[in-house]
Amino acid sequence: MKKLIATLSLILACSPILAENIDITGDVQSRCTINTDTAGYYGNPSAHTLSTTPADGGSKPIVRIDVSLANAYYAQISYPTSFSTSPSLSDTVAWTGSVAVAQTSSSDMSGYQAASTVLNSGSLRQYALTIAGTTWFEVASTATYGQGQSKPFPSGSYKAYVLAECIAQ
Amino acid sequence: MTPKYLGADGIDGMDIHGLIYQYTAVKDLADDFTVTVQNEKEGGGYVFQDKEDWSQKYGMTIRKSIGLPYTPLAHFKTDGGAIATTGTGSVENAQVVYLYRFDRCFDPQSDPNCPDYVAPLPPIPEIKLYDALDDEFVEEATKKTDQDLIDEEEEKEQKEEEEEEKERLEVALSISENVLTLDNEITQTSIIDAMNAATNLTAYYVAQIPSIVYRDTLVIKDEGYKDSRLLRNLAQDQQHNKMVEAQYQ
Repeated sequence: MKKLIATLSLILACSPILAENIDITGDVQSRCTINTDTAGYYGNPSAHTLSTTPADGGSKPIVRIDVSLANAYYAQISYPTSFSTSPSLSDTVAWTGSVAVAQTSSSDMSGYQAASTVLNSGSLRQYALTIAGTTWFEVASTATYGQGQSKPFPSGSYKAYVLAECIAQ
Repeated sequence: MTPKYLGADGIDGMDIHGLIYQYTAVKDLADDFTVTVQNEKEGGGYVFQDKEDWSQKYGMTIRKSIGLPYTPLAHFKTDGGAIATTGTGSVENAQVVYLYRFDRCFDPQSDPNCPDYVAPLPPIPEIKLYDALDDEFVEEATKKTDQDLIDEEEEKEQKEEEEEEKERLEVALSISENVLTLDNEITQTSIIDAMNAATNLTAYYVAQIPSIVYRDTLVIKDEGYKDSRLLRNLAQDQQHNKMVEAQYQ
């Protein structure tokens, strides 16, 4: 018996490892891509107003979203509610804006705007991307300084962001 | 309504491989409206047609890209591009942009790397043959410089010219003389004929002149020659010779 045990132990000592972790890798490419089509610009029609409206000397930013899979994503786009870069502001800024479908790659997408929903007190609009293709969203933004007191913005550089996201349905 | 818009345009060697079009469909939601972007094919049919049905949809701006297999420009009918619509609505701000590549070997001679390129013959230079007789320097170098020879040649040429002139003049005069003579003869003949008609010359023709001999009556007699001047002259010549010889003695 001892011998037998001794032989068994020898066999165990010479056998290879019985467990191994083998890697499985993979990449997933997004079926939804977001690109900046046109950068925005704030015009300064009055001392206390910054606006992207072309009539005010501004330019509306345009976001392009491409989806290759229908009924898989929501597009969530929000107009800015704060400056990411600005001089020191002692007063509050009132923000208004809008998000709208500017162009589509198919007439079947013409109902996107009507079917969209508003979230976050109106600053964020969500679109159900039901058709594979490209959609261009146009964002308007207006910032008014001084809570209606017509207070002038301090001189300097101002920057604000439009946030665009693809959210899986 | 079939308004015409930009069709494919370019030069030989261009291959169209796609297009991007954009337009705004203006319509009411309830209206039926279709828009077809198309380009006719040379020889009939269409190279492509892309139809959007806007019926019961919101009108808005569409931007679309269409891929095509590489299609030579020659297959696209000239002015064959169009945006055709049906139903109620309109198309505004239409743009059609064709995407192309250029086949650099369409004309193989445009690039030495093209498969059917044939090396062109080198330009043949224009060879101007030299003619020494036309060379002004040769003419100058071979110009006659002996004035005597030049004068002789000039004289000879002048003489030849004068002779030719003379001959020409003689010929001209002979011609005119012949003409005058001919004219005179004719005139004289006519006058004589007229005179003969008026005068009877028979009497003159029948007149006889008697034959008379006129004899020589003068006779000179030989009486001798007495003049001795010849002998005197000979004596003088002899005396003269003597005097001349005396000078050399």
